[in-house]
Amino acid sequence: MTHGMTKTIRFFAVVTAALVLLGVVIASSMPDGLERVAEALGFASRAEQGVAWSPFADYEAAFVKSSWLAQVTAGALGIALLWGFGALLGSTLKKRRES
Amino acid sequence: MHIPDGFLTPPVWAALDAGAIPAVGYFLRRTQENFEQSRIPLLGVLGAFVFAAQMINFPIWAGTSGHLVGGALLALTLGPNAAVVVMTAILVVQALVFQDGGLLALGANVVNMAVIGVWAGYLPARWLGRRAGSRRMAAFVGGWLSLMAGALFASAELWLSHVAPAGALFTSMLGIHALTGLAEGAITAASLTAIERLNPGFVYAGLGSPAPAASRIEDGKPVARRAEASGD
Repeated sequence: MTHGMTKTIRFFAVVTAALVLLGVVIASSMPDGLERVAEALGFASRAEQGVAWSPFADYEAAFVKSSWLAQVTAGALGIALLWGFGALLGSTLKKRRES
Repeated sequence: MHIPDGFLTPPVWAALDAGAIPAVGYFLRRTQENFEQSRIPLLGVLGAFVFAAQMINFPIWAGTSGHLVGGALLALTLGPNAAVVVMTAILVVQALVFQDGGLLALGANVVNMAVIGVWAGYLPARWLGRRAGSRRMAAFVGGWLSLMAGALFASAELWLSHVAPAGALFTSMLGIHALTGLAEGAITAASLTAIERLNPGFVYAGLGSPAPAASRIEDGKPVARRAEASGD
């Protein structure tokens, strides 16, 4: 791995950690574009408001009391899953090239 | 822009689910055939970064928020084929683990943000990067178009599902996302600028521009062949 690639990985790892640790504190809770349009045009109620079957629904770990820590826990899980997926995909690409 | 279950009618979500599976399969095969080995370490890092960035909503305008989607950013760093695969993984994790975006609407969200969002950002940015002077501007335009194209497809799917009149729906969706797209373009351009500073020549390859002579050195050795992002 080149020095530049190592620096790039470190940079994005730090920014990703900062986003989850600090970003969740300042994140806006206002509706996003689609939610806003759905409210304005009167079809927001069509969204199925089912039960929160996942313990991590809405990016909050239901079993953690502190709101900040609940969001950080959810964020860390998502990061681990995506990092793991990338590593798995990368290993299949390496094996394919080697074979 | 994650469409929840309930917005789309069964024929619309079923058709998009049926179309998304072979589309992602095709781009996965292309990734396996073409992906550049030196970029493998970035698959997980950038997937995790885009996931974290999508968690953080920022105020856009009049009580509306937005967040980075990241289609153009992934396309210009991983190449468009791998970007579709990584963005699909992000959307699957969001729907299955965090209940963000519907399960039945997953195909629609994959088509809008992973397939259309990636290619609508990549192709114009690559075209501009080869012709225009500013690669930063090419990345900005790619980011903006990526979001607008996704919003356009989402609007069409909602219109086909008869949720609202076409005029109001398309005008509202594209109007709001034109503003959110400015942030998408700015973050895409800023991220690629940061990568270019840390890893000279890397983004030039993603944008299809010739790398400057000074950036053709890696680990003290000249690079014989300019790296190409996959998907060409």
